[in-house]
Amino acid sequence: MTGDKATVWSRLALLVVLLWTLLPIYWFLKNAFLTPDEIARFPPPLYPLEPTPAAFFNIFGIDYTLVDGTVRRGSGQANQIIRGLINSAIVSAVVTAVTLLVVLPLAYVFARLDFAHKNKLLFAILLAVALPPVSTLIPFYAMYIQLGLAGTLTGLIIVTLTITIPFVTWMLIGFFRNLPPVERLALIDGFSRFETFRKIILPLGKSGVAVAAVIAFLFAWNEYTYALVLVNGTTANTLPTAISGFLFQHPEPSHLAASLALTILPPALVAFFLQRHIADMNLVDPVR
Amino acid sequence: MKATSRTAELSNLQFSLLLALPVLVFLLLVVAYPLGYALWMSFHEIVFFGGYKATFVGFDNFVDVLTDKKFQKSLWITIRFTVESVMLAMVIGLLLALVLNRPMRFGGLVRTLVILPWCVSLYGTGVMFSYLAKGQTGIGTALAFAFGINDDVNFVNRDWVIEVLAIGNAWNMAPLVAFFLLANLKTIPRRLYDLAAIDRMSHVEVFRNVTLPPLRFTLFVFTCITTVLSMKLFDFIFVLSGGGPGTASATLTYRIYKESFKDLDLGYGAAMSFMLLALILGSTFLLYFLWGRREASTP
Repeated sequence: MTGDKATVWSRLALLVVLLWTLLPIYWFLKNAFLTPDEIARFPPPLYPLEPTPAAFFNIFGIDYTLVDGTVRRGSGQANQIIRGLINSAIVSAVVTAVTLLVVLPLAYVFARLDFAHKNKLLFAILLAVALPPVSTLIPFYAMYIQLGLAGTLTGLIIVTLTITIPFVTWMLIGFFRNLPPVERLALIDGFSRFETFRKIILPLGKSGVAVAAVIAFLFAWNEYTYALVLVNGTTANTLPTAISGFLFQHPEPSHLAASLALTILPPALVAFFLQRHIADMNLVDPVR
Repeated sequence: MKATSRTAELSNLQFSLLLALPVLVFLLLVVAYPLGYALWMSFHEIVFFGGYKATFVGFDNFVDVLTDKKFQKSLWITIRFTVESVMLAMVIGLLLALVLNRPMRFGGLVRTLVILPWCVSLYGTGVMFSYLAKGQTGIGTALAFAFGINDDVNFVNRDWVIEVLAIGNAWNMAPLVAFFLLANLKTIPRRLYDLAAIDRMSHVEVFRNVTLPPLRFTLFVFTCITTVLSMKLFDFIFVLSGGGPGTASATLTYRIYKESFKDLDLGYGAAMSFMLLALILGSTFLLYFLWGRREASTP
């Protein structure tokens, strides 16, 4: 009796959880499958009455012929979307690679070794995490104008690294600290410090390294604030800024929804991995 | 023996410097340089039109910011938005963790779906919640019509826009809180719940005496994290409401953006960004003194 009641309640709770999680996504992405007629309708329809994938072709500039023979024209902003997709991929890949290259040794040193002024330096990293992008934007913008880096991928990559490096370092410090103390054993076995790091610590901490890579990728892929000011409207525009064209200049809900689905796709693909491993990170006490 | 190992091996300090120095230099550049430059700007009046010109004005920008009614309003909006966001994110995060902690079928799939909002970008979240909450496209209107109330229901108005923002922000942040709390929940031995059952504790007592204690330090840390994230949030607000309607949701971040990049008053914007930084650091220290110190001493 009580067991049945408990199952009913936990099913109900699960339903509420899924509704809370998925409703905002559903409510917007349904626009991608609506006809222009349905989008203009008031009140808004709860679901697509005649679902069509046209918008997913249109955003790449491809015309799509509906069953009844009407043609949905490819978007005039297709070039920007395609370029944005390529630029976003480049920025995310480079940022992820550089972040890992820089952060792995840094986090290792902070986690496993003692040296002078360690806590002060750690505090500088946490301060960098707390800096609001809007306040660092002004100096970067001013500097980029002088250096000719505004509107370039290089500029955007550098500035994105300022977000990923402090955050990922902070995550990995706690992770590395929780690994078993193998340094002394490695020393006895004749490993040098570099070899210990490369051949023992890194393989031991694979999952943490992978989470670090995924987080760096997500931050770079989802970055909008810097891109808005530094590359919006230039040839270096990323996917988020390209999409905001559908939002601000030429509102087109079905294209907006289709291209937003495109931006959600990579995060959705890493979500399964992330839910298994993210709590291996130790955000809670990096300073102990 | 010791002497040979020292000559053959690098000391801790040498090794650390070798690995960390390049990064520390980079960090110094990307943290200290913008901060230094912003500090310089905040003491100058910078004019773009008719040629770039910077005039030293001392503390004028800071005085202007502090006496500006719009700044005071934005400060209040930021605080209200942050308090609501953090409370929602923590409570919802805790509830998500409690639900996920129960044994269930398709657990991997459910957890994947639950973490998804955190993986979605903040501008994406902004677009989604603006469609969800606005009168023309929103779910409020659709439901109202479904129940026969033929009127549009718009939540993006002067009175409710901050709550809409806070809910959207909490939707994005709560999964992160949930997964770290879930990791803590998993460490509670089942035995404790059996003992609690023998003691005939009520659900509330079990939650307070068994479930909550191991979560407290994590709750504190994530209260700090979500506070910082909410105060520095910009793109989500920019996309969802653009600071509007009117200036009803013009948080400090939005106002800094507007002063600096729309009105091109860089010195004033820089001065305001230091106020924001002070607010962020001040709030985290306050949280630490009021709450964290106690938690840290009783781990």
